[in-house]
Amino acid sequence: MFNEFTKWLFDKDSKLLKSIFISLLASFITLGVLYYFKLRYIEDFIPKYGLYALLIILTYSIILPSMNYVRAYREFACMSGMMIGMTMGMIAGFLPGLYIGANNGMFWGSIFGMASGILFGAWNGKCCGIMGVMEGIMAGFMGGLMGAMTAVMMLNDNLKAASIIIFIISGSIMIGLNYMIYKETRQMEKKAETDDAINIFLSIMLTGLSIWLMVFGPKSVLFQ
Amino acid sequence: MTSSKTYLAGIILIIIVGAYFLFGFNSGKDKSIDEIGNPINEGGIQKITLGVKDYNYYPNTIKVKANSPVRIYLDSTVQGCLRDFTIRSFNVRKYLRTPQEYVEFTPDKKGTFGFACSMGMGTGTLIVE
Repeated sequence: MFNEFTKWLFDKDSKLLKSIFISLLASFITLGVLYYFKLRYIEDFIPKYGLYALLIILTYSIILPSMNYVRAYREFACMSGMMIGMTMGMIAGFLPGLYIGANNGMFWGSIFGMASGILFGAWNGKCCGIMGVMEGIMAGFMGGLMGAMTAVMMLNDNLKAASIIIFIISGSIMIGLNYMIYKETRQMEKKAETDDAINIFLSIMLTGLSIWLMVFGPKSVLFQ
Repeated sequence: MTSSKTYLAGIILIIIVGAYFLFGFNSGKDKSIDEIGNPINEGGIQKITLGVKDYNYYPNTIKVKANSPVRIYLDSTVQGCLRDFTIRSFNVRKYLRTPQEYVEFTPDKKGTFGFACSMGMGTGTLIVE
């Protein structure tokens, strides 16, 4: 079955890799522009924020393309829809919460993580109605808080290494989610054709906002 | 198939180039402060005040003499759970609400011991000579 998924991933009809590529490109161009005009004047930008900037770009590039499929098929069975809402909410809450928490403290990490998690959780969960929306909101809320808390608690204990390990695990979970969506949708007809406009728009906005918040945003007492 | 492989190659290339420029990665602990704090001796009591630097106690290594009372204060830069100060080896644990409050104990054994906040987020070393 997984071989089928891999075959589909490389099939010309599959747009997943293209969407990931486009999201990465849009995010890196945004970072490049920000760096050229503003961030290169920040002392120690690369050692201090470089890894988190890279991880946050990779995070959006694994979250946003998965949304394309949910938007294209629109309706899923309850169990699948809830799983989609929960996974998206948790990953989209936990990872941004972790990175912002590592640079701005628990309060701002939690707020940003919860906002991002609830937004993506509810948006993707609605493919199966109110249950999916509720599941997405709950997972987003929980993930945002947990991500920021993990960051602050690991400040003196290999946080950068932990961030990479957590990202790899989250990436594997997102591969699993895409495999599940593939399994659920291979007999279904697409309800709408989706393009990458929203993907590009969200990649630019979220990357810009996250990096701006990390560098110039308000910080808790611990970071002042 | 070919275009998907091209995209995959593109993804890998972007990640490698991005990682090359952005990997400000230092192995091991993210922050380490090796400044050694020596207490001031006042009336036979070894007094030292700890602050916060790079999210950890500063100085985070303290050198004291055995069998003589030690008094540790936390200044106003120490916030949150870092104010709940513990040294497990000497059964010390106290929440220091203000910079005037302190923990006092007499180290009766020589060696190197750890101190930390109650959640283990801030850590340091106590050397008893």
